[in-house]
Amino acid sequence: MKRRPIRADFEREALPHLSALYGAALRMTRDPKDAEDLVQETLLRAYRFFDTFEAGTNCKAWLFRILTNVFCNQYREREREHVVMTEAESSSANLEQFLAGAGGDGRDSETALLGRMVSADVEKALAAVPPDFRLAVVLADLEDFSYKEIAEIMDCPAGTVMSRLYRGRKILQGLLYEYAVEQGIIAPGNGAETLDLEAFRRQKQGEGGGGDE
Amino acid sequence: MNCVETTATVQAYVDGELDGVDRESVERHLASCPGCARRVHVQTRFRAAVRAHLHRPEVPFTLRRRVEEALGSQPIAPRRWPAWMSLPRIVPAAAAVFLIVAITGTVRRSNSMVLEQAASMFTRQPPPDVTGSCGSIASWFQGKLEFPVHAPALGGGATCQGGRLVNLGARPAAYLVYQVSDGHRVTFLVFDPRDEPIEAREHRVVNGREIYLGTGPGISTAAYRDRGLGYVVTADYDEDTLARLVTTSFGR
Repeated sequence: MKRRPIRADFEREALPHLSALYGAALRMTRDPKDAEDLVQETLLRAYRFFDTFEAGTNCKAWLFRILTNVFCNQYREREREHVVMTEAESSSANLEQFLAGAGGDGRDSETALLGRMVSADVEKALAAVPPDFRLAVVLADLEDFSYKEIAEIMDCPAGTVMSRLYRGRKILQGLLYEYAVEQGIIAPGNGAETLDLEAFRRQKQGEGGGGDE
Repeated sequence: MNCVETTATVQAYVDGELDGVDRESVERHLASCPGCARRVHVQTRFRAAVRAHLHRPEVPFTLRRRVEEALGSQPIAPRRWPAWMSLPRIVPAAAAVFLIVAITGTVRRSNSMVLEQAASMFTRQPPPDVTGSCGSIASWFQGKLEFPVHAPALGGGATCQGGRLVNLGARPAAYLVYQVSDGHRVTFLVFDPRDEPIEAREHRVVNGREIYLGTGPGISTAAYRDRGLGYVVTADYDEDTLARLVTTSFGR
């Protein structure tokens, strides 16, 4: 029975990804205890099926696929909350306006927003993004997975990955803009006065490529 | 290329997903379209800012330990197999592995999991959570376990070295490490025996008490019940010496 070498191989291949797995688990479950359970279950499954992992292929992507699977089966049920997406998406339209408006005088409006952003707000905004979109953002922006890898991890076509990512980021950015306005970091409609309706419509039309599935 | 088309690919461009002709064509458009160029600029900055603000959290010590212990006990005696079988692409191969593991697990189940885990911890020597006298180590466990821990008294000038809270199946247990004056190490695993069966290859009755003995490479383990608690003693002694040690500890 070749138990020892498997354990050693597994520890070498899989355990370096523990911190990435925990980070993603925490952002998906939004609860430290659940995140720990999710990661432990993920690694146990991975260990049991380590024979099926092809050496030399992307172990991190393989582990994330298992993580996603366990998450969908065990935790997803609990969070069937239908977040009011229209709200977040309408704030992202305000953001568009804001970003487009201040561009005119050559100063970057996003610098005002991004420069004073704090980590706690980014975490809060990310946590408010609906699970599928959130997972796409976490995988792409935090873990640097390619569209192809994300498609495999989330078990969906690459086109779906792109639209989830697009909407996830839009919601995230809209929420960040909202927080900044609420906190008085930026003035709402900073650019709105300088932008006429026509220009805004053109802007919206130019933006129109989204839509999930 | 017009803006609508480009917007669909701005994201792919920002994400570095385009190459060759696609990339060049987007870049040509960006050079002549300030609107799309700005979108790329903003998206790139947003992505970088979000990333800079979302740190990878530190992995809790408890998780590292849980994983370590779960892996240590896993292949030897698979305990429960939850109703899952839900990994669509892995299932056929997995089913085969499952069978093999289940069968070998059953066959090897001569030593129960507690004995295997005690032996594995003895070899790995996990660092203690607490050090000090036997009394202070025992009281450190108060409130952390559902039962009181008394550090068993050992002869031979043995002193307590440290204690550690460990997971045994789903329940926490106490792990005590002793140093004997002859240079040997002895460890005790103290646990709630209600859902942790004690079985082993060899079974003796000493002073009216049942002792289960197992042997690993270079180490021996002995398990017994005492006042409602389960104990596994592990040491780098031979079986008979360990059995004697356990028996003398009963009288104290």
